Amino acid sequence: MAIIFALVARGTVVLSEFSATSTNASSISKQILEKLPGNDSDSHMSYSQDRYIFHVKRTDGLTVLCMADETAGRNIPFAFLDDIHQRFVKTYGRAIHSAQAYSMNDEFSRVLSQQMEFYSNDPNADRMSRIKGEMSQVRNVMIENIDKVLDRGERLELLVDKTENMQGNTFRFRKQARRYRTIMWWRNVKLTIALILVLALVVYIAMAFVCHGPSLPSCFK
Amino acid sequence: MSFQDLEAGTRSPAPNRFTGGRQQRPSSRGDPSQEVAAGIFRISTAVNSFFRLVNSIGTPKDTLELRDKLQKTRLQISELVKNTSAKLKEASEADLHGSASQIKKIADAKLAKDFQSVLKEFQKAQRLAAEREITYTPVVTKEIPTSYNAPELDTESLRISQQQALLLQSRRQEVVFLDNEITFNEAIIEEREQGIREIEDQIRDVNGMFKDLALMVNHQGNIVDDISSNLDNSHAATTQATVQLRKAAKTQRSNSSLTCLLILIFGIVLLIVIIVVLV
Repeated sequence: MAIIFALVARGTVVLSEFSATSTNASSISKQILEKLPGNDSDSHMSYSQDRYIFHVKRTDGLTVLCMADETAGRNIPFAFLDDIHQRFVKTYGRAIHSAQAYSMNDEFSRVLSQQMEFYSNDPNADRMSRIKGEMSQVRNVMIENIDKVLDRGERLELLVDKTENMQGNTFRFRKQARRYRTIMWWRNVKLTIALILVLALVVYIAMAFVCHGPSLPSCFK
Repeated sequence: MSFQDLEAGTRSPAPNRFTGGRQQRPSSRGDPSQEVAAGIFRISTAVNSFFRLVNSIGTPKDTLELRDKLQKTRLQISELVKNTSAKLKEASEADLHGSASQIKKIADAKLAKDFQSVLKEFQKAQRLAAEREITYTPVVTKEIPTSYNAPELDTESLRISQQQALLLQSRRQEVVFLDNEITFNEAIIEEREQGIREIEDQIRDVNGMFKDLALMVNHQGNIVDDISSNLDNSHAATTQATVQLRKAAKTQRSNSSLTCLLILIFGIVLLIVIIVVLV
């Protein structure tokens, strides 16, 4: 949690405060309220103590103070102070000028708690943080895209190898098919020649019988 | 120039026309016209002086004394205009009622015209003075406090010094306040700049990723083209192989027919041989 302590005061009179953890922020903030320079003039201040920074905003006589981590910067704490100031003025109006010390603490400390939670954890509290989050998401999506494209590249490499093998196989298949066709053709030629020879032989033998001799003497006389 | 012509015009016909009653008639009839001429001359001189005063408005010469002099001159001119107007009216009435000569009527008309032109100039000067008096304020000289008493002067100076001290103090506080505000705003701006710079870095990274992705996709496009050409070649080779196999099948069918025919012939020959042997 970035914002740990919050306080609303009129001058040095504390009207409401909330602390997320048990610290001495309350006493330190009272000292800060007493030492604020300028008499009820609108101002923005930041005081550092150890690892924490106290941000103070005073507007129209009402002082809003919060204690935050160093890592929280200034945008989010001061946005928090602006929001608390508006909510407080909207809720209590003119009663602020005549209220007793801690008279709003029972009601408003819950609002302080909720807004501290919101501004500490929700990235929508700051437009810059939201854009950073979105850019991080875009970067993650791009990293996933690159991984998928690399994987696709590997698969495409395998596929091109397989298609090259298939191409070689089909070329070989075509060659063997052509050779088989040639073999069949020659076999057909041989059978045709054999048939012709057999027919010639049969005719010769028949004529030999009819002409009474192997040299066919009576048929050619 | 015009006044010289007027005097010449008024004096030249006098001895010719009124030879009989010279002393009585010229004095009674010449007085209004001559007084009107003199009045117009004085008005013209006063208007010129008024113009000089008006031209001093808006310059370092512009003082309260100048404004007072302007006012007095304006009143003087108004009075002169009033008197001269009355005399001009008297002269015109004398011209209408009496049997005045033609030359005198023309001279009076000329006087009236001159009077009107002088009046117009005066009105123009008045308008200019009014504009400049509104636009500029007179220079308040330091001589005016000398009319005060000594204790009043001391009180005034004390009051002024107190006011200056208070003014200086409030300005010093304002400067301190503005310094604080400037420091605060600079810190906010610094933080915002850092955030924007980080976003810029992230966008640059994403840009690099997009470029790498484009390179890889382009390279894989080449690989896909190779795959496509391999497939096309395989398809063509397979088609040709199919054609060759179809031809081979046809040839094989012809071979089967020939083989059957040969077997049939051998069968017949064998049958004949067996018959001959048995017989």
